[in-house]
Amino acid sequence: MNYVPGTASLIDDIDKKHLVLLRDGRTLIGFLRSIDQFANLVFHQTVERIHVGKKFGDIPRGIFIVRGENVVLLGEMDMDKPCDAVLQQVSIEEILEEQRLQQQAKQETEKVKMQVLKERGLSIPKADNLDEY
Amino acid sequence: MTLLAQGPLMMIGRRNTSAWRGWKGVPQAGAWPGKSNGDRVTPTWSRGRARRRGPRRVPGSVHPGGRPGHRGAGCGPEPLPPPARAPWLRPGLLPVAAPPSLRPHLHHPPNQLPGGNSSSSGMHPSSMMSYQQQQQMLCRGSGPMGQMASPSIWENSMGFGPVSRSPGLIPHMEDSPLMSIIKEVGLPKQPHPLRGEDPRDLSERVLPPRSTSPVIGSPPVRAVPIGTPPKQPMSLNHQIHHPTAVHVRAPLQHRYPPPFPDRLSPNTLLNLANNPMCRGPFPPGVGPVLSQLQRAQMLNSQVAGFPRGVGPPPMLPGGGGFRPFFGGPPPPPHHRMPPPPLHGPPIYHTTHLHPQHRRMLTQRMQSRPMGVGLDRRSRDPYSNLMTQREKEWVAKIQMMQLQSTDPYLDDYYYQNYYEKLEKRQERERDSSKKEHTTRLITPQVAKVEHTYRPVQFAGSLGKLTVSSVNNPRKMIDAVVTSRSDDEEKREKQVWNKRRQILYTVEKMYSSLLEVQDFEKRFVHAAEEERGALLERHKTHTETLCTLLTHTEQAGRVSDEQCVTIMSVRKGKRLISRLLPFLPAQQAAAVVMAIARNLPALAKKDKQDQVLCWLVEPVAVVIQSLSSAALTDLLQEIQGREGNLASVLQNKLGVTLLYLVLSEGDRMQSSDPNCQLMDDNRWTELVFSVARELLAAPSSTLAPPLFTPPNLLGLFARYVDRQSLEQLQEKLQISTLTS
Repeated sequence: MNYVPGTASLIDDIDKKHLVLLRDGRTLIGFLRSIDQFANLVFHQTVERIHVGKKFGDIPRGIFIVRGENVVLLGEMDMDKPCDAVLQQVSIEEILEEQRLQQQAKQETEKVKMQVLKERGLSIPKADNLDEY
Repeated sequence: MTLLAQGPLMMIGRRNTSAWRGWKGVPQAGAWPGKSNGDRVTPTWSRGRARRRGPRRVPGSVHPGGRPGHRGAGCGPEPLPPPARAPWLRPGLLPVAAPPSLRPHLHHPPNQLPGGNSSSSGMHPSSMMSYQQQQQMLCRGSGPMGQMASPSIWENSMGFGPVSRSPGLIPHMEDSPLMSIIKEVGLPKQPHPLRGEDPRDLSERVLPPRSTSPVIGSPPVRAVPIGTPPKQPMSLNHQIHHPTAVHVRAPLQHRYPPPFPDRLSPNTLLNLANNPMCRGPFPPGVGPVLSQLQRAQMLNSQVAGFPRGVGPPPMLPGGGGFRPFFGGPPPPPHHRMPPPPLHGPPIYHTTHLHPQHRRMLTQRMQSRPMGVGLDRRSRDPYSNLMTQREKEWVAKIQMMQLQSTDPYLDDYYYQNYYEKLEKRQERERDSSKKEHTTRLITPQVAKVEHTYRPVQFAGSLGKLTVSSVNNPRKMIDAVVTSRSDDEEKREKQVWNKRRQILYTVEKMYSSLLEVQDFEKRFVHAAEEERGALLERHKTHTETLCTLLTHTEQAGRVSDEQCVTIMSVRKGKRLISRLLPFLPAQQAAAVVMAIARNLPALAKKDKQDQVLCWLVEPVAVVIQSLSSAALTDLLQEIQGREGNLASVLQNKLGVTLLYLVLSEGDRMQSSDPNCQLMDDNRWTELVFSVARELLAAPSSTLAPPLFTPPNLLGLFARYVDRQSLEQLQEKLQISTLTS
């Protein structure tokens, strides 16, 4: 707002702590240091946060440069709010283990579902009902 | 994907080599001086190259004595492997002219490093040369250009500078950390200025005029391609005072505006507006774009009154370019400037906002408490890595993107939103306050035609065969064969019905959008154009109609097409938008079709649940129907035996039914000559409806979208009291409304 009033710009977000969700599902938290016209982002003191259920684990990553097209959403983090209220921080190994388990469980349910549907001769239509032409 | 750069905070990747590569002054080929034996053992370059590597590899404090003789590999704290270190990480700031006091350092053993790794040489200090000097060098004529693609492109630069050296570029070498480093490590080797082979060197290193001349074929060569961020202007005194440069950037001497300003870069805009150093002549071609933005800028600087171009740039890489390479934490940024003062009220100086929007923004800004995070930010040692200039540069790009030649096309929703807002306010205020609505001013860009005509020499036979970006040569003769729609249809008939339907819907949508925009365009069009516009409007409407009633067999109008369109969600939306624009007869036909096929439609709609979109436009149509048509409609809704029950289960069906009934009642009560009662059809139909309603269990009855209030009155005329009460329950109408 400061520089180009009436528009949305990342310029005012510089040097603030942000959380960014990437297209591959990763969540990064860091200080936004620099941007450019493509919304490529430079993050400082970045931490990759993995969430599984109510637990989360932080992996420190250092400096990240994110290409703008891979950003899903990006938002400023409120430094004053405590983050431990609902979520519980665990160690990196633990969270990675949890994540692996979660993926495994998901795969298994998916497999079972497909199996059941196949038995009944049904199938989940994929993109057929979308209106995209 | 993870970047484990735990070293000093470097803006890796941002300042990429494109600027550097495209730079005019750089000889793009490693033109070796013509050594016949091809022996490359000790040409100037390799020494220079080796020399250049020396200081870079030595982290001042860590290695013993900082000897330049440190060979090759592992420098401990450096995170990146040597070959990967891209050219732009070089501290390109060392002056071309090594002051005499440093000469002894320069002649260290030549082959410090093995000759490999030529790829990681970087920006040469001769980047400090001025534009004119480079031009001079370019004009020296061409030499044999070899090795265009080799990495040795980057190597030669040491020999570049010395010929014309401006004394002002010599840094003020006194007590500074930089100096200590230089003394330890030694400057990169500078070729001796009096070397005899220089003229030859330079000429051979110069780009061939063919590839750089803007006249002949190639696009105007810019030192800085349009997308690059601004470089800091060389403010020499401050080189040394900011050795903590966390940015590693090669500075570019300021350029005059390029002679061919067909594409203005944000750099140009910034430079022209901001920089007092660069007062080159304004190219005449710089038209409305620049002037408008510049006006805003000037206004900005005058009114807001803050210093433009932020004095001594805080993040000058300066001579401090050495530091970041040596690992370790960057020294505390005491050189960093405090956050620059906020721009006054920048809102008043932009012209692209709707006045309403501007008002809202000022209100918002006033109410918001500013400066909350300011103290926090000042404590952050890494803040302001992105300089003011850079922020402005990005903002300028964004503003440039806002310019458009056709705001109604580019910014449709914004424009429409504010127009609706205005209209609403006008209606509300109701002319009590005559606040005349100001027109929205969007910065308009003049449409400049960029036609490029390749140069032709008079009196020559044939044309030049230089093919360039502007003038590409046709290599393949590709013939486009487009199949007509019918052919396509025949081919893809069975392939995917759904796709076909969607395709039809798309075509209809494009016509519909034209029809919808017609009014707006009509208002804005000039008198002469209005006739043509009207014609277009008619054709579009006709297209819509024909598409809607299209059937395989000519002559038989069926609602097949309608129904197929409605089997798709998008089609239902289309119909609901389309209905107001159709001529009355056709609209009635469509409504009939809907009524007739209601059960089928309801079934298909189970997943989408969007039939309700149709209610409004259909209601409008119903109100315009004649009595005969109304009766017909009611009949259609009833359909065959038992169909009414299924109709009643569907929300749209119920609503439709109620609408029809209420309309009939209204017609009857308002117009005494109404023909509704002429034949018994209406009465019979209403009776049967009443019967059905009574028979249908309440649970299956779908709640209508809205219940017209006069229904109960209608039924009161046809049924007895007991049934009426039952009906009342079913219809859930309170007695108050009847």
